[in-house]
Amino acid sequence: MTILAMSQTLLYLLEQQPDSAAAVQYLRQQTDQLQIDPKPALFYRVFTAMPRYVGKQMIDLPPDMAFAIERIRPGFSVSGWTRDRLARVWWLLQLPADDEERYVNTISQLFKGAELNELVALYSALPVLSYPTRWRFLATEGIRNNIADVQSAIMLHNPYPAEQFDEAAWNQLILKAFFTDKDITQITGLHDRKNARLTQTLTDYAAERQAAGRALPPHMEELL
Amino acid sequence: MNFMDSIRGMSFFDMHVHMTSRTTDDYQAMADAGVVAMIEPAFWLGQPRTGVDSFRDYFASLVGWERFRASQFGIRHYCTIGLNSKEANQEELAEQVMEILPQFIYKEGVVGVGEIGFDDQTPAEEKYYRAQLDLAKEAGLPVQIHTPHRDKKQGTSRSMDIAIEHGLDPGMVIVDHNNEETVRETLDRGFWAGFTIYPFTKMGNERMVEIVKQYGPERIMINSAADWGISDPLAVPKTAALMKQHGISDEAIRLVTFTNAVTAFAQSGQLSLDELSQPLGIDQSQRFNGSSVLRGGQAPRVDKESTIIK
Repeated sequence: MTILAMSQTLLYLLEQQPDSAAAVQYLRQQTDQLQIDPKPALFYRVFTAMPRYVGKQMIDLPPDMAFAIERIRPGFSVSGWTRDRLARVWWLLQLPADDEERYVNTISQLFKGAELNELVALYSALPVLSYPTRWRFLATEGIRNNIADVQSAIMLHNPYPAEQFDEAAWNQLILKAFFTDKDITQITGLHDRKNARLTQTLTDYAAERQAAGRALPPHMEELL
Repeated sequence: MNFMDSIRGMSFFDMHVHMTSRTTDDYQAMADAGVVAMIEPAFWLGQPRTGVDSFRDYFASLVGWERFRASQFGIRHYCTIGLNSKEANQEELAEQVMEILPQFIYKEGVVGVGEIGFDDQTPAEEKYYRAQLDLAKEAGLPVQIHTPHRDKKQGTSRSMDIAIEHGLDPGMVIVDHNNEETVRETLDRGFWAGFTIYPFTKMGNERMVEIVKQYGPERIMINSAADWGISDPLAVPKTAALMKQHGISDEAIRLVTFTNAVTAFAQSGQLSLDELSQPLGIDQSQRFNGSSVLRGGQAPRVDKESTIIK
């Protein structure tokens, strides 16, 4: 994926939204400012205050735009996103990535103080961030998170876990998805990453549910 | 008569409550009694924190986990963010907290800087109170002032003097924990007057009824300030019931238990009467692909009367 192509396409999508001219103009100004003087404080403020400038409406996503995005980054989808979420992910792509440590540090700081919707945007952005291997631990922290929307942002329609998680982390994702009533058919890579250890754990889990007199979650049989 | 009968169908906004210290039983009881929204001011956790990361995690929990917990009961959770007066006295740490505050006050649902003000009325408390007034002014946010328990009357006057000295419009300042001795000056000077119904140490609700009768409902708002002490998260609905029993009009009750707080804190741009009149469930931004927040196998309600736990 080229960051530039993704960045341009996401901004183009924002521009296509009704009454977004002022928001897009604001975003371009902030990008110019960041290029002149890449201060972390500016980067954080724009990320945090995003809903004030771009709004929180659900985006309209024409099929050809969804196709264009998927072509730049296979598996990546912005379907069902709000404008602030889209703009935040776009903004993350504006951060200069030439210095790996500085880049990883700056984004890690955002994770540390993030509120709910910021976390959703941050986890949604993992597939398009630079240095993909550096986010593995944070991604597993997203699975441990107990806030449903945050879990969904990393578990569902997100290609990052299937690409980056080792077997143990992947299996935790699947188990946690069952335990938190997610629609597991929305997990990217569900069938490609089937493994013997997971099948065994799910078999035990099914037996435990039956012993407790509780129903099995939907779609579990497909993984057994 | 059960107090719930007289307030059925009314909606309440508890503009000061520390849910971090409360259980899901309290959330359920509040939702049942008509509390639809609340503000959780950042405060002292009962013992001093020893590092800035504890503050960061606490602030992050107010805009994250606690908001999510509230949403599971259909309650909108807002917060005010600030360095409380007690911990302003640990100056080295206070400096570090001041550095991270700008990262939090612009976040969604942060409706003010608070609760800030005086405890012992030390020079350090004054220094950080002033610094945070400037921060609020710069961000265009309302201020939620904690007035001291000791030397209260003087401390309340002084808090208002300093706010005016820093160029804050009294209409942007909510002076909290008022009592019979402070209310007149607070209202006279154009500030919002918050009252905390809290057993033994702050206001009792019979006294509150008298205050509303005497001063009327304009610019007055009540809260529970329920926290880790012996306090009552149902203080707002109970006081509404008591006001009703004493013949205070429904319109006046609505002002002091709901509308005034909305008007004051809506100045942050982070909440509105429109938003509060929508049921939480239809706010699409809180959802993912149309699924609700009630997840994790968590039943919306546990039957407390039943001996059977499933």
